[in-house]
Amino acid sequence: MKGAEARDRASAVILAGGKSSRMGRPKALLPFDGEPLIRHLVRTLAPLFAEVVVVGGAGAEFVELMSLLRSLSSQPNELNEPNELNQPNKPYQPNQPNELNKPNELNQPNKPNLTLVRDEIAYQGPVGGIYYGLREAKGEFVFLTSCDAPFLNLALISHLISQISDYDVVVPYWQERFQPLHAVYRRSVAPLLGEQLERGELRPIFLYEKVRTRRVSEDEIRRFDPEGLSFLNMNTPEDYEAALKRWQRLAEEQRGRGGPHPSALAPMPPGGECTVELFSVARLLAKTSKIDLALPREATLADVLAALSDRLPVLVGPIIATDRKSLTSGNACNINGRTFVRDPKAPVQPGDSIFIISADAGG
Amino acid sequence: MHGFHGRLLTIDLSAETYEWRALEESRLRAFLGGIGLGTSLLYDFAPAGVEPFSPANPLILTSAPLVGTGLTTTAKYAVVTKSPLTGFIADSLSSSFFALELKRIGADAVVITGRSSHPTYLFIRDKQVEFRRADHLWGKSPKETESSLRSELGDTGVRVAAIGRAGENRVRFATISNEGRHAGRGGVGAVMGSKNLKAIAARGNAAATVADPQGVEAIAEAMRARSLGTMTAKYREIGTVANLAVFNRLGTLPTRNFQQSTFDDAEELTGESLVENNFSRRYGCASCTIRCEHLFKSLAGEEQRLEYETLFALGPLCGIQDSTTVLEAARLCDLYGLDTISTGGTIAWGMECAAKGLLPEASGIGLNFGNADAVMKIIPAIAQRSGLGELLAEGSKRAAARIGGETGDWAMHVKGLELPGYEPRSLKTMALGLAVSPRGACHNRSGAYEVDFSGEVDRLKTDGRRGMLVAASEDFSAVLDSLIVCKFLRKCFTDFYAEAGDLISKVTGWSYSADELKRAGERIHTLKKLFNVREGWKSNDDWLPPRLLKEALPTGVAEGVGLSESELREMLQSYYRARGWDESGYVPKAKLSELGISM
Ligand code: SF4
Repeated sequence: MKGAEARDRASAVILAGGKSSRMGRPKALLPFDGEPLIRHLVRTLAPLFAEVVVVGGAGAEFVELMSLLRSLSSQPNELNEPNELNQPNKPYQPNQPNELNKPNELNQPNKPNLTLVRDEIAYQGPVGGIYYGLREAKGEFVFLTSCDAPFLNLALISHLISQISDYDVVVPYWQERFQPLHAVYRRSVAPLLGEQLERGELRPIFLYEKVRTRRVSEDEIRRFDPEGLSFLNMNTPEDYEAALKRWQRLAEEQRGRGGPHPSALAPMPPGGECTVELFSVARLLAKTSKIDLALPREATLADVLAALSDRLPVLVGPIIATDRKSLTSGNACNINGRTFVRDPKAPVQPGDSIFIISADAGG
Repeated sequence: MHGFHGRLLTIDLSAETYEWRALEESRLRAFLGGIGLGTSLLYDFAPAGVEPFSPANPLILTSAPLVGTGLTTTAKYAVVTKSPLTGFIADSLSSSFFALELKRIGADAVVITGRSSHPTYLFIRDKQVEFRRADHLWGKSPKETESSLRSELGDTGVRVAAIGRAGENRVRFATISNEGRHAGRGGVGAVMGSKNLKAIAARGNAAATVADPQGVEAIAEAMRARSLGTMTAKYREIGTVANLAVFNRLGTLPTRNFQQSTFDDAEELTGESLVENNFSRRYGCASCTIRCEHLFKSLAGEEQRLEYETLFALGPLCGIQDSTTVLEAARLCDLYGLDTISTGGTIAWGMECAAKGLLPEASGIGLNFGNADAVMKIIPAIAQRSGLGELLAEGSKRAAARIGGETGDWAMHVKGLELPGYEPRSLKTMALGLAVSPRGACHNRSGAYEVDFSGEVDRLKTDGRRGMLVAASEDFSAVLDSLIVCKFLRKCFTDFYAEAGDLISKVTGWSYSADELKRAGERIHTLKKLFNVREGWKSNDDWLPPRLLKEALPTGVAEGVGLSESELREMLQSYYRARGWDESGYVPKAKLSELGISM
């Protein structure tokens, strides 16, 4: 799936209704890089998603969330909000007064359509939040995250989304644990979650056992997010302090490289996507001629081959060497029809087409 | 002597006589077998300036030192003569059981001259040569001829190489065929036909000895293992037809007579689709572990072997997009014994002339790009030399000369031989390789395209290193074609000259170093050139068709890429320099003595 296609077919859901008891104040509203954390997250996700659904809690912060988010919506007047407390998750489109339609700093094309829904049965664990988020989202798939994880990595997220075509759930497995609150779900699993809720099965893993679940390995994650910052969440004031410092450091590093301040981008700016076109034996084995892959930052041929190995394990051995970074001796690679490359360190740019072909052109 | 018999069989069809002669060891060591030995014999046996269809033009079949050693892919023989298409050397290879039997007759080469007064076939058995009447075989396909002869001679061990109707009718690009394989390019079948020779049947039991049988077997064993690795997977899994899809994507698939290098309607013709939709079975030459031949089923359910060159030439080159037509056209070419590349190339030329209103007879049969019916009609007409087929049977160069005007600009040949399926404008090293190849536009006697596909150079641009790279590829091929080893095994060697030198030493008992082998490659190639010079080669024969130098590619990743005359000239100069030839492309005397060639 190409970026533009994903943007139309995928929604993002941010769970902002969790308990903030140890933090002492609502996490979604914590200042982060000069703005409330929830805004920071929406802005970060905006380049990837045409729609962002925020699942808020039942508490007083819901109203505050709503006014905060209004300026981020592409249709501020139509920011969805619940009308009656006893009708959770039934958003309506109120005629908002015009003063809410303020210009804001985000570029129009990246302004997502925002929906705010209330998780009425709050604090019952992640399954409820996931369920309400999925029910509300319009996209065919949903990337779901929680509002206390500030270090979103668009490259990793793109990669997770790119994996969904043959699965119902794509979930990272980091440090021996599933990361259900940083995962991609096919919207069609929502009814199953509803049933789970009714049965009181509050662990997402019950779902993973029932549907086609792609477990994304640590090695695979590290290609995009070497330290797993994506899974770092803040539960205590100390966590928060540490995260702020870390953010500062990233910003400085970024400036050192001449790059933009990270607040303008994700902490790990995305490498974008490339298309791999398969020919000859590779095409026969893969039973497909084309595949889109998310690229990490400053990607190389080795990254492409590693990502390709994840997607099409059948190629490892006959086409891709078992190191998953290089091609076997009978195969060659051409970028954009222009350059033949063999060196795994050869750079690959977003938008590149990578042809995997036979090394022998004899006929 | 090991590896060779040290004997030559000369046959005079006019007098119906034959003679066994000694072959000097020095000649065998200098030229090995196959193409090298054939070239050396051609130089000596062809009278200077001989007409290709004259009885005096020798038709030479050679065996090679590796034939019968059990080394994978080596059951091959060469056919060398003066080409009726180019007027220069024609050196073609074919393979399989006929090659094994040819070696067992006890000669390293057979030189056939003269002309029978009536259709004849030769039966070579146990040192005897019989001249037999072939009236009953005349008009038969090579395949029918093979089976007729094997039953007629009452010996299923007999192997046969034969011509079809195209050879009988001296179609200038007729092949010699055995077991469904062809000595395909340059019109060797037409020369055979001009001698009224329908077929050669061989049966023998004279095995050549090997100096170090264990050493040879050890190498053969290792090569068998290597031949089954990922390096040859393309050939095993799909066959050469795998080239089509990727060539199309790389903008190097000649389409509609080289007007384009991409074909929009290629999907059905890709090797990947053919394997998925039409695959019937895999087959291979005798003694081969790779077994690259793929037989495909047409809609009619008939099995047909298909190679990339046939596929490109009868498909995109003629604007044909359906596999049924291509398979059927390939079947017809096999039936009549026609070189599919020159057949497709000449038909495509006819189609372009017709499209531009310059070939009125063509409109009668609707010879337009993409018209499958017309292709089906014109192939038999070419083989019979009937109607428009009479003109096209001459090949694109002569046909264009007859029609005149700008039609010569669209005759896509070098020295008279039609171009293979590698677009020169987007494969610049190949462009040079095609221009200088002694047998005309050829993808086999050098593999210059390998350089373009390697990333060693920018395939879309020219530079001063191409001469050296083309020369190296030619010398390498000359050795491969003289040992003979199939080119699809070439990448399975890690250090080719050292390994092949070791192998030839173990087979022959000579101590043959890598350097000596390299020099042999250069010597063989140089002698081809010397033959051509003797037969009238001029500097402007090393050149490409005008279209390639005038028109940029209009589509695909190589859109806008062309090749200018000055770029080609510079590459030619770099080639002549790399070869140590003079700047007009002639071989100086000093080079001859350096290579030990005495004229
Ligand atoms: S690789 Fe193919 S062409 Fe070569 S010897 Fe084997 S079957 Fe024949």
